[in-house]
Amino acid sequence: MESFRSNIRVFLAFFAPSFGWLVLFFVAPLVIIFLYSFGENVSLTEVETTWTWRNYSRILEPEIATLFWRSLALSGMSTIVCLVIGYPIALVIATARGAWKPWLLLAIILPFWTNLLIRTYALLNILGNRGRVNSGLEWLWERGYAALDAIGLNATAIMGEDFEPIIFLGRWSGVIIGLVYVHLPFTVLPIYAALERLDRSYLEASLDLGASQWRTFRSVLIPMTMAGLVTAAIITFIPMLGSYLTPALLGRGQVDMIANVIERQFKGANDWPFGAAMSLFLLYVTFIILAIQAFASMRRRGADG
Amino acid sequence: MAEPIISIRNVSKYFGDFTALEDITIDIRPGEIFALLGPSGCGKSTLLRCIAGFETPSTGDILIDGKDMTEVPPNKRPVNMVFQSYAVFPHMSVEQNVAYGLKMDGMSKSEIAPKVAEALEQVKLGQFAKRMPDQLSGGQRQRVALARALVKRPRVLLLDEPLSALDAKLRDAMRLELVKLQQEVGVSFVMVTHDQSEALAMADRIAVMKDGRLRQLADPVTLYERPADAFVADFIGRVNLFDVTGRAPFTAKSLGALELPPGAEVPPVGDLVLAIRPEYIHLHPDTSGPIPAKLGDVGFQGDISVVEVTLSDGRAILVQVEHDETPALLALPLGAPVSISLDLTRASVLPVSDA
Ligand SMILES: Nc1ncnc2c1ncn2[C@@H]1O[C@H](COP(=O)(O)OP(=O)(O)OP(=O)(O)O)[C@@H](O)[C@H]1O
Ligand SMILES: [Mg+2]
Repeated sequence: MESFRSNIRVFLAFFAPSFGWLVLFFVAPLVIIFLYSFGENVSLTEVETTWTWRNYSRILEPEIATLFWRSLALSGMSTIVCLVIGYPIALVIATARGAWKPWLLLAIILPFWTNLLIRTYALLNILGNRGRVNSGLEWLWERGYAALDAIGLNATAIMGEDFEPIIFLGRWSGVIIGLVYVHLPFTVLPIYAALERLDRSYLEASLDLGASQWRTFRSVLIPMTMAGLVTAAIITFIPMLGSYLTPALLGRGQVDMIANVIERQFKGANDWPFGAAMSLFLLYVTFIILAIQAFASMRRRGADG
Repeated sequence: MAEPIISIRNVSKYFGDFTALEDITIDIRPGEIFALLGPSGCGKSTLLRCIAGFETPSTGDILIDGKDMTEVPPNKRPVNMVFQSYAVFPHMSVEQNVAYGLKMDGMSKSEIAPKVAEALEQVKLGQFAKRMPDQLSGGQRQRVALARALVKRPRVLLLDEPLSALDAKLRDAMRLELVKLQQEVGVSFVMVTHDQSEALAMADRIAVMKDGRLRQLADPVTLYERPADAFVADFIGRVNLFDVTGRAPFTAKSLGALELPPGAEVPPVGDLVLAIRPEYIHLHPDTSGPIPAKLGDVGFQGDISVVEVTLSDGRAILVQVEHDETPALLALPLGAPVSISLDLTRASVLPVSDA
């Protein structure tokens, strides 16, 4: 490893291609976006970098600030749902018999192999007013109505005239369900890894000392997998924050997140500088979150060691 | 004899079609140190985990204080365990670790504090109460595990290889400390070990296990002096084993006919071996003894030396030599002709292990 690093020609041969790739497709676009974000539209197709802060100050306008808060709230709530659902799933996989594990893990990763657009359309089909969920509920409603009728009660008075479908699309609930569905694997895998690493004798020791299963879960399992939980929360939350497709399709333009509005600046509104400023602002928010996490874990390690 | 505190009755344990324990029956007495001894994989830990409640015996019963434990989960059993890895909770301080079990019993803070302090004093960790486990040495962590289990005043303390994670020097010191601690608290210890010297040094009684079966249960002296079979003889201490043929007199290759003293117990049937410990073989530094041999390595150990000699058929055996006699041997060249004589009153004829 050492000689390999000190030999500059070998170093270049190995790293020049990937370095070039990074510059071309990552650094360069980022610089362009950065310059745009301080620019103004001078004509329909031209942007001039005038080093104005106006694009950034517009983010603070109520309409856009609300949008950012909504994105944070939607992502935050969805992340919490992901953690609550993901932890038991990870626990089941981690405690499953050896032969089962790869298959269960595969089941978690499988959705990644299907196109996101197709999966989101499938969700539309499930969550629509006449979708699977609502037709299931309607079926139950009809049975209930008939049953009440049969025992001589006034079914209409209790259950209403008609079945009222639950509306998901164009509402927060629909977007949250979509976000959770898409990002759940990101939550499960780090938690699973943390659980796998945990020596089972800690749990046995807790039981041995008289703790109940629930108490062991709360006082030993959760604290000892906290690092995995934090990682899971962050790598679930960050991509959620930049979600585009899910709010676009399931939100029906009524539950926009940041990415939807950014897209509009680059297309319909033709305001590239503002779109660029918002994109970068999202990036800064992400950095801040990561910095807080790094700081917290440093403090934690500092306190332990 | 007092009532046994733990009764293990005909316990067997199968993992699929693998037999980890086969028909084990053992009574543990109040206040004793009981060692489960055997080679790796013989089922010692499995038996201990059956007592703690982490494994359920496939057949048979375990009684603690006369009560059947089959339906009792680990958190309701009046025993506590010191895990091989210690399993000291890394996210709790030493104090919190020790208090954990008492908190689970629903004790109040004011009741817990003095008990924790006392338990930490007992294991000499008083000044470490506020430390986190990763600021402790392996030996200190082991004491936390001990204090954490003992503070609950269990009827029996279960220890899975309590000393194996410590370095050799600390291990010897901890043997004595554990025994002292046990005498202080008066709780029975059931201790798993694969180290025979540890078992001999610490235990009141030892159960020697092999392949899931109990081979012999006895006190250390009996195990050493009167092993039940060749496996036990070989596992406990150093021993020389010779296949023997014929009966009264026995013959062993390279030893010739063996006149056992009258009244020696001999198993009636089956393949037999003669077992004789190195200290009951006398080494003559010349050819004056009855059995000729060639001198091999002299393992000087200070008080004694363990010498390897080769018999006429090429078989190497161990002989123990007192300190006084060692210089004469060290003066001889390797391969020098010597001779040995056996003290057959101290030899035993045993069934071959896998009978
Ligand atoms: N959960 C299990 N499933 C299948 N086999 C098991 C299980 N637990 C133990 N065994 C097997 O049972 C046998 C006895 O295991 P055990 O842990 O009791 O051995 P041990 O005597 O404690 O050995 P060591 O000194 O190596 O700890 C081993 O062969 C082991 O592979
Ligand atoms: Mg073991």
